[in-house]
Amino acid sequence: MTEGRADLPEGGTTVLMLGNPNVGKSALFNRMTGANAVVSNYPGTTVDFTRGTFIEGGHTYTIVDVPGTYSLEPRDAAEEVAVRMLRDCPDATVMIVLDATKIDRGLYITLEVMERGMPCIVAVNMMDAAHEKKITVDIAALQRLLGVPVVSTTATSGEGVRTLAEQIRKAQVANLGGIAKRLRGEEPRTESLRACGGCGGC
Amino acid sequence: MVISSDARWEMVDAITRQTVTYGTYKQTLGDVLGDLTVKPLTGIPVAVAALYAFWSIFTSFAGTLVTDGFMVKLFDGYWLPWLQSVWPDPTSWHYFIFVGNPAADTCFEAFGMLTSGLFVSIGVVLPAVFVFYLMMTILEDSGYLPRLAVLMDSVLHRIGLHGYAIVPAILGLGCNVPAVTATRILETKKQRFIMMTLLALFIPCGAQLGIMMSVLPDLVGVVMLCLVVGFVIFGFVLNKVIPGENPEILVDVPPYHWPVKEYVAKKLWNRTKGFLKEAVPFVLFGVLVVNLLYLGGVIQGLADLLEPVFVTWFGVPKETVGPLIAAFLRKDLAIAQLSTIPMTTYQTVASVVLVTIYFPCVATFVVMLREGWKQLIAAIAVLFVVVFIYGGIIHAVGILLGVA
Repeated sequence: MTEGRADLPEGGTTVLMLGNPNVGKSALFNRMTGANAVVSNYPGTTVDFTRGTFIEGGHTYTIVDVPGTYSLEPRDAAEEVAVRMLRDCPDATVMIVLDATKIDRGLYITLEVMERGMPCIVAVNMMDAAHEKKITVDIAALQRLLGVPVVSTTATSGEGVRTLAEQIRKAQVANLGGIAKRLRGEEPRTESLRACGGCGGC
Repeated sequence: MVISSDARWEMVDAITRQTVTYGTYKQTLGDVLGDLTVKPLTGIPVAVAALYAFWSIFTSFAGTLVTDGFMVKLFDGYWLPWLQSVWPDPTSWHYFIFVGNPAADTCFEAFGMLTSGLFVSIGVVLPAVFVFYLMMTILEDSGYLPRLAVLMDSVLHRIGLHGYAIVPAILGLGCNVPAVTATRILETKKQRFIMMTLLALFIPCGAQLGIMMSVLPDLVGVVMLCLVVGFVIFGFVLNKVIPGENPEILVDVPPYHWPVKEYVAKKLWNRTKGFLKEAVPFVLFGVLVVNLLYLGGVIQGLADLLEPVFVTWFGVPKETVGPLIAAFLRKDLAIAQLSTIPMTTYQTVASVVLVTIYFPCVATFVVMLREGWKQLIAAIAVLFVVVFIYGGIIHAVGILLGVA
């Protein structure tokens, strides 16, 4: 990458990783930062946040692995940590991590985050598991509908992680009205994508 | 723009319909196993077998193979005699602190920083926590833990918790410190308080299990039984006494997968490194503090003061006061120290149980404080009451059985 977003502060951007429990946020986080967040196969492994940094295209990002949460109405102390992080970092970019085998379940919190008007990027993780289960996710269509960059990843093998890091720069504030219209097919799907042209292939 | 929760779900449905397609899915071996391990009829025998396998690998590898087969020979056969022969002036204070008892034949009895301190931390506890963490990592990464949580749900509801409390409980068997933070996955204050208190009281950590296996291999079972019974009794009581709710929980059970080799290795390395960096200095420091307190006459004074409680109420010798002080710093150290006091079988069991329950170690104390000082104070108040009552109960049972 050659240029960063013009409005970024000198110190770098904060990226909050948000999503349901056990979708692989910590694994992605470790892949991107080389850090040692604890990764396990049960929901609720991460109960506190871990901070790490990575440099992409000459730009330093501070990335935060946030405890998983099903919604922004916390039901336990770990989820409270997540909601508090989001409130305390209003200028952050949010990286929403979805489990490719359970897209629907993660979309609820995706919409909740989008309503807050924060710039978002979506990672569809666990693509390998989805492939095994014969579940196909149309990444390009998801990107067109949501109007934010969507990247498919497999954190355990590292696939897509590089692209995900590159795309953070293109994070967008989603427009829920636009999403609703595109869902009804009322608006040409590409129109509301301002900054990235909406080619779907970026 | 903020929309209602119903509108959100409608949108979620619409997006999913337009982007996700499901092919025909063939059930895999993992799914079949997944079902078998949550259904009570098949799941409970599997759970018993899994925990038994866990325990026997733990004892045979760490206890018998590494500690008894190698470390004991190394430390007692070479290291101790060598230190005793080269360290000047066996009557000096520095000999007492670093090497310990000049007449000792084993590193347990010597109780110097460089003898017992190193032997306990490196020789006994390190292999134990290493094996424990290896197996715990496999349990965590395979996806078995949430299934165990489902199985344990109805049992744990009787003591004010729900099945997911098994996660902090199992983490606590490794180390109570991450277990205290893991109680955050429980929903209500009541559940967190009960779990934190029971953790501090009745769950021995990996270091402590390791040392128990080494110094009292025949009695570990009895000690564990006392702890499990205590866990259930006081969980039941706390559930009745403490106001608050214990809601049902929906657990998201992930599919099984093979633990990723590099994750297991990384996690194992980090945990072992954490032990070397934090626990080993603490054991050495603990020996130093205890030896200084002995030299200063503090421990003897306390022992005389507390003699009535210890001898009459708990039925253990007054010398156990020293290990109880060490137990605040490191429980493994305290048990090593207990093993050198001549005691009857009953006294050994009772004093080991007391060391386990009487107070959390300093590291656990600090994380509990971080989770909230009000809860910590309440937990400690409960703790003192429980130690007093349960210590008395064990003594009474001992008297009734004719062993105390």
